[in-house]
Amino acid sequence: MGSEDQPKKIDRRDVLKGLSTLPALGLFGYAWQKQRAYQQARAIEAAAPAQAPADLQVINIALLGAGAQGQVLTDAMLRIPGLRFRAVCDIWTEYNLKRVVNSLKRFKHEPNAYDDYREMLDKEKELDAVIVATPDFWHSPHAVDCLKAGKHVYCEKEMSNTLEGARRMVAAQRESGKLLQIGHQRRSNPRYLHCYHKLLHDAHLLGRIVTVYGQWNRGVTPDLGAPDRYVIPQARLTQYGFTDMHQFRNWRWYKGKGGGPIVDLGSHQIDIYSWYLGANPSQVMASGGNLYYDPKTHEWYDTVMAVYDYDTPAGPAKAYYSTQTTNGSQGYFENFMGDQGTLLISESEVNYAGQLYRDPNAPAWDEWVQKGYVTAPKEQETKAKNDSGAIADVRESVAPDQHTVPVTLRDPYHQPHLQNFFDAIRGKARLNCPAEEAFQTAVAVLKVNDAIEAKMPLAFKPEDFKV
Amino acid sequence: MEDMKLSRSAMIAITVLRVVVGWHFLYEGVAKLTSASWSAAGYMKVSRGPFAAFFHWIASQPQLLDKANLITSYGLTIIGVLLILGLFTRVAAVGGIALVLLFYLCNPPFVGYFYSIPSEGSYLIVNKNLVEVCALAVILLTRSGLFAGLDRIVRGLVFRRVHPARIAAA
Repeated sequence: MGSEDQPKKIDRRDVLKGLSTLPALGLFGYAWQKQRAYQQARAIEAAAPAQAPADLQVINIALLGAGAQGQVLTDAMLRIPGLRFRAVCDIWTEYNLKRVVNSLKRFKHEPNAYDDYREMLDKEKELDAVIVATPDFWHSPHAVDCLKAGKHVYCEKEMSNTLEGARRMVAAQRESGKLLQIGHQRRSNPRYLHCYHKLLHDAHLLGRIVTVYGQWNRGVTPDLGAPDRYVIPQARLTQYGFTDMHQFRNWRWYKGKGGGPIVDLGSHQIDIYSWYLGANPSQVMASGGNLYYDPKTHEWYDTVMAVYDYDTPAGPAKAYYSTQTTNGSQGYFENFMGDQGTLLISESEVNYAGQLYRDPNAPAWDEWVQKGYVTAPKEQETKAKNDSGAIADVRESVAPDQHTVPVTLRDPYHQPHLQNFFDAIRGKARLNCPAEEAFQTAVAVLKVNDAIEAKMPLAFKPEDFKV
Repeated sequence: MEDMKLSRSAMIAITVLRVVVGWHFLYEGVAKLTSASWSAAGYMKVSRGPFAAFFHWIASQPQLLDKANLITSYGLTIIGVLLILGLFTRVAAVGGIALVLLFYLCNPPFVGYFYSIPSEGSYLIVNKNLVEVCALAVILLTRSGLFAGLDRIVRGLVFRRVHPARIAAA
């Protein structure tokens, strides 16, 4: 390295060589700014709502509950034209509130931030609607107070963690005359709507549905935590019904706060059971337990298996549902089996996104293929082998043809259901999951946990589903 | 070896190497700092190899994970700036080696390991992290900041304060 190692007086050469790489830092700054501008433009473009008609009524909304689910709903709402975020409310001011407010500002919304929803309702007089994405045990008080304040409400499922709370929500909706949509978002999913209206009702492709099977397999995960710098002061946690930060972050597992996986996950799918079968269940038996987690920190069951009896207009049916916390293989789906065909469907666009199997004894589906209700059949490999001369066991049924439901959803999963809510506010649609409908699902789902504790089948009376 | 001198062109090449490695560090750092959702948790959760249990444990501890996120994002940024400027180059190189070695040991491309994380290349034992560690070792040992970087000025200023007589005699 020559003279560089020797101490000497700093001369002009040293200064020039010393500063010689400084321009690289300037170049980096320039490149970074260009990259940031490009990324922001792409993000705004991706989240930009479709072109809004000039006469579209702008709806002023507030987000109440800015946690993970609140963020999911916000991301979907940013793509819906004609919405203006006026306020965001969350008790986790140290993290959730800042995160969502800052993300909304990037999309040119100027929401006011609150940690007290009553203060928000008092001050935000121009609000048209409130999106409630708080923990289940707050759904009822939040929705009821918002309805009483004259706001339309979109409330996440489960409607409430208690039937008393759910009843109060239905009553408040009726008294206020405002809209109350519950977030069973499959009810607005175009694939589920296509299957319900076209395949089950127009074409009766499944024939008589006799059995239903559904599941949601989920992998075990560590409890959610929070770094010290984001911890909510104990007084505020207590004020809002939480014993500590662990319970606040993992409320879904605590009795009196959430309902466990059967409510978080099963609720979506059991809602579809009743919708597609056209009936509420008459009985449920269930088994469940904490097979993996410590019951001290996970009071609700991590594994649940439930069997419902239905008296459908077409005859009796049984529906099995399983949710387990082990690993996520085979994911989640609902499988409806009729005497003429099977429908395997899920919300996912990747797995089980709508497959149909026609029993060989059922009438041909050519008409429905021609009408675009289902795709042309694809012979299954097992059938091809049978046809190739191999001798099939006489106990085996001939493999059915496989068709596909030709409907996909390119938007975020929650977007159509939110869009339906805002269309209803504008008087252009009817709610796909109004409070009375969701109440019936809450009755069916919350009873599962009761049946596990009772260790015996529990019957439903028709009046249980009425408010 | 002490007497071995590197040519001027070799030192220029090493300085360029230092700047591009610094650039990479700096962008990795600011990209993490400006991402609202970035966390090292995902990288640690898929860890395998002899240190997998250690990284899994960090990923499961919110306090530790928060500190790991801060150290990683700020560490990469600061080291990147120092390498580009040639300021405290040896300290920056040592810090960079320590950080990148941790990245390497978290998900080492050892025989028989198949990662599901998308990767743009194929690696066996040696991957980009290990190559960058070696590059930093070269930067560390050749003191390129004294050839072209702020270290050259800093050293001159320090010497003037510590050895004013020698400077005056030079």
